[in-house]
Amino acid sequence: MNAPVPNIFADAVDARSLPDWLGQRRADAVATLRARGVPHRRIEEWKYTDLKTALEPANDAIAATAAWSIDKVPKGVTLFDLADLSTAPEWVQKHFGRAAAAESMPAASLALARGGFALHVARNTFISDAVQASFSSGGHVRALIVLEDGAELTLIENQSAEGAFRNTGIEIVVGAKARLTHVRFAQAAAKAVQIEDVAVRVARGGLYRAHLFNAGAELSRLTLRITLKDLGANAELSGVSVLGGQLHADVTTHVYHAAGETQSVQLFKHVAGGKSRAVYQGKITVAKGADKSDSRQTAKALLLGERAEADLKPELEIFADDVKCAHGAAVGDLETDSLFYLRARGIPEQEARNMLLRAFLREAVDGIENEVIRDTIWQSVEDALPRAMVSAL
Amino acid sequence: MLDIKNLHVAVGGKEILKGLTLSIAAGEVHAIMGPNGSGKSTLAYLLAGRAGYEITQGSVTYCGEDLNTLAPEERAAKGLFLAMQYPVEIPGVTTLTFLKTALNAQYRARGEKELDAMSVLKLVRKKAEALKVSEEMLKRALNVGFSGGEKKRLEILQMALFEPKLAVLDETDSGLDIDALKLVAEGVNALRAPARAMLVITHYQRLLNFIVPDRIHVLAHGKIVAEGGKELAHELEAKGYEHIAGKAA
Repeated sequence: MNAPVPNIFADAVDARSLPDWLGQRRADAVATLRARGVPHRRIEEWKYTDLKTALEPANDAIAATAAWSIDKVPKGVTLFDLADLSTAPEWVQKHFGRAAAAESMPAASLALARGGFALHVARNTFISDAVQASFSSGGHVRALIVLEDGAELTLIENQSAEGAFRNTGIEIVVGAKARLTHVRFAQAAAKAVQIEDVAVRVARGGLYRAHLFNAGAELSRLTLRITLKDLGANAELSGVSVLGGQLHADVTTHVYHAAGETQSVQLFKHVAGGKSRAVYQGKITVAKGADKSDSRQTAKALLLGERAEADLKPELEIFADDVKCAHGAAVGDLETDSLFYLRARGIPEQEARNMLLRAFLREAVDGIENEVIRDTIWQSVEDALPRAMVSAL
Repeated sequence: MLDIKNLHVAVGGKEILKGLTLSIAAGEVHAIMGPNGSGKSTLAYLLAGRAGYEITQGSVTYCGEDLNTLAPEERAAKGLFLAMQYPVEIPGVTTLTFLKTALNAQYRARGEKELDAMSVLKLVRKKAEALKVSEEMLKRALNVGFSGGEKKRLEILQMALFEPKLAVLDETDSGLDIDALKLVAEGVNALRAPARAMLVITHYQRLLNFIVPDRIHVLAHGKIVAEGGKELAHELEAKGYEHIAGKAA
């Protein structure tokens, strides 16, 4: 039954001429690929997202490079096209590809992508206009975002539904007291396999903030690997997934509190209708000596149909003594008490259900500081809800 | 207005009400008193239409209609209101939005004109003042972080807004201190009207010092075991439920 599946990514690796600074990093990535192959459900972290099976149909995007575009580069932001690495500036050479070899999929995007973009914001520079970046078509693609100390940027990432398979690898470097707000929209992509790995390093007093909206794909996996590497580094993550049909969305986070007085907050809300499947895996590691760290993690899922599924897996790994960690996860149906209360006040059943459903999701959206971002994410929720509320055929 | 005849109700297969008969006419205020487990809340939930309460025998007629055939929202639109013992907290829905949605849903069901946001706000403000429901409370998520007294005041505010024909108050006095109790009772008394009937359900005689009923029914073991005027409350207070229930048995 388990016929050997070829190690498709490792097999696609070509010989190419690369600048010296990148040679070893790519070689490490290729070694990871050869050793680990394509993730599949017998690997614990990929238990709910069987990439190997999803990729079995012949796929010509296995070695391709996906397309990207950036609407407008605001003043103060430097854009570098990763297609030609021979002219890479110092900040690209310093950071690009460093966090790729730890896992198969970022290793694959580093080894195979022939393009992508890198953005740089200089020290103490505040960028008021958001950078809007889109990924489309099939294949691998890389991005690098570097915020020097004290810099501030908002990145709005859009993952389009095009392409049968896309593997995005993003590295984010947040300098001391720098702040990055990362907004991500994943459009419903019923016929696409979409994998994304975001590796973030936050320096002393810096903040990485993510607001995620996920409408799911045939198979969709977002991995956020966040290292709070110095004193007082922060991460704030909020996300909503609204799934219908047979869509799948897996959000997996690993927040690593490497230093003391670091803080992380996560709030994820998933709604799954039809025969869809929502996955949240959240691992928090507090390293030895990372005292006075504080991590809070909440993930909730609401199932709208008997055939929908949600898997929530919070995980704590604590090696320090003096820490605060709180986590909670719950999968449920709409509260019968709440539903009865609203109906007893004259609100028809369907309308009451709609109110409660929106109220459930609101919690993960209302906390977004920026009004425009908040409204845009809420609009995406509204657009995705009708599909989630249709029962499966 | 409300006619309950030989009502038997089972919850989860267990019979809780065992032949209750009760009749309330427009303009009257009746009280049901009874100890814990007598079936008081079962009656309240059954009247409001909560799922899981099965009529095994007898009937409930409200304004000439068989109540059992109506969904909870239909009952509300037809003027039946239940002030709940434990109002539900709903994060993510602001109190004012909830009031507007509920009010307009009832208007819509009755074919009346719906109100715009501004008119609702004006109406709510007018009624909220007497009950000391603050503007700040209206902006908060429904019942979230409200004290016991605030929750009960909000129930009475809803009653004032919806102007029901029949209001059922389930243990509206529970968890209230004397000042909060007076405030809530004043709110209820202000709504007494010739066209409106009320059914006040309580464990204690205390509430009935402030909301004086026309008629008192004592419920024990799923049946009315004694009936009388307002003086019955004092007898209960002096002699206890066991005495009255025992005398009936």
